[in-house]
Amino acid sequence: MTTEFTPQHTKLDRSKIPEEIKYHRVSRVLELIYPDQYTSQLSSEFLRVHSPSAEVRGHSPAQAILQYGKKNVNIEGITLQGSYAIRISFEDKHDTGVYTWNYLWDLAENQPDYWQQYLQSLAVAGKSR
Amino acid sequence: MSFLQKLFRKSSEKPLEEEARVRVEQVIARAYIDPYLGADFFSAQAIKRICQRNGQLRVTIELNYPALSVRPTITNILYLALKRLDGFDDVIVDVQWKIPAHLGQRQEASRIKNIIAISSGKGGVGKSTATVNLALVLAAEGASVGILDADVYGPSQPKLLGIPEGTTPQSRDMRYYAPITVYGLKVMSMGLMVTEKTPLMWRGPVASETIQQLINQTLWGDMDYLLVDMPPGTGDIHITLAQTLVIAGAVVVTTPQDIALLDAKKGIDMFNTVDVPLLGIIENMATHTCTQCGHTEHIFGQHGGESIARENQSELLGSLPLDIKIREQADAGLPIVLADPGSEISLMYKEIALRLAVNVAQPGLITPLPKITFIND
Repeated sequence: MTTEFTPQHTKLDRSKIPEEIKYHRVSRVLELIYPDQYTSQLSSEFLRVHSPSAEVRGHSPAQAILQYGKKNVNIEGITLQGSYAIRISFEDKHDTGVYTWNYLWDLAENQPDYWQQYLQSLAVAGKSR
Repeated sequence: MSFLQKLFRKSSEKPLEEEARVRVEQVIARAYIDPYLGADFFSAQAIKRICQRNGQLRVTIELNYPALSVRPTITNILYLALKRLDGFDDVIVDVQWKIPAHLGQRQEASRIKNIIAISSGKGGVGKSTATVNLALVLAAEGASVGILDADVYGPSQPKLLGIPEGTTPQSRDMRYYAPITVYGLKVMSMGLMVTEKTPLMWRGPVASETIQQLINQTLWGDMDYLLVDMPPGTGDIHITLAQTLVIAGAVVVTTPQDIALLDAKKGIDMFNTVDVPLLGIIENMATHTCTQCGHTEHIFGQHGGESIARENQSELLGSLPLDIKIREQADAGLPIVLADPGSEISLMYKEIALRLAVNVAQPGLITPLPKITFIND
């Protein structure tokens, strides 16, 4: 078995640690503010369906479970994990996703691509958001 | 002293004029290069105050590491150098230290300034012995220090520190426990909770739960350094510690042999993954000197620690020999830095400990943690 190095498990670049994390409850958007005034916005649905938890991803790409029907999911709580990540608890009781700074950065950077891929997977599986 | 006199004294203390101040700074910079800071006091920004009062020059140096044993030397050298300056009748040099707190530290453990993990990939390389000796050096240098023995399955700190069997931490409410104080160190260990001979047969989650209790239910109080004696490997306890504590940095202990280095690398990678900075490598059992003929041999190979430190942009804090005295005194419950403080090995431990203290004080190592807020919009 080969272990692929995902953004979740690479050495951290300090500029990828946000200075501030704001969650907008009504619009359901997580706003990450970085040191150089760069900001990124991730919707709670996007974060929920891309949860790095083993419950979502499995232990290999083949085991990944497609998440659907999370259009209106809200975030209940965010806690720091050591100094390397946050753990997000969602309203649907999913709280095992540990989002490292690198992973959040990767999600923001590739948001349009990941979102398109997600919509396609939904269409293929015949599921809806 | 009357109030007026105090007021008068305060106001008579004047800062130096620009030119004179620069001259004093230059003298200080040339007089002494601090071996632990690796720089002179001017470039290390350790000169806290320069002023004069009635022709008397007053200089205050503030270090970021505990320096009880080196203070007289520094004071003397600076005094002699500054005395030669013209324009002052007398010189007073004051050397102080202030150990900075790791900014990322969370509320629940905020009274502990710096948490340092002492780890290794492999068992039996001398982590616990190194931990106890480093802690004792830092305490002897004037810091308040504690040890958390995180090896719940095989705790060795009580034995190393000579804590008598049957000593248990005191508790008033059965929820919070006072750590055992021994040789000026605050110690908490699973070995204090159960008898030495009880094997703990626990699965991962129980061990994780227990280690959290050892951290959160101990009344640590104010502390400059908490050294965490980690169990070998990269398992449940390590993950729990990385997630529940904000560790200021990690020290990896290894022997120079390839098989131990391989595991040490895994340990380093683990800390990288959870963003705990590496403060340095300690090479243990690097050499052995034959007690019969005096021949020194690198029994586990050479330069292993150095190369692993270089690979990870870290530094080799020191190489300690394999010496029967370290083992004997450890088994007797009187670690070598206490039993024989003047010995070569004790001096090595002092070098390592102070260098470690300087490394952990570096602001570049501190991970700034984000502020999390929820907004209703």
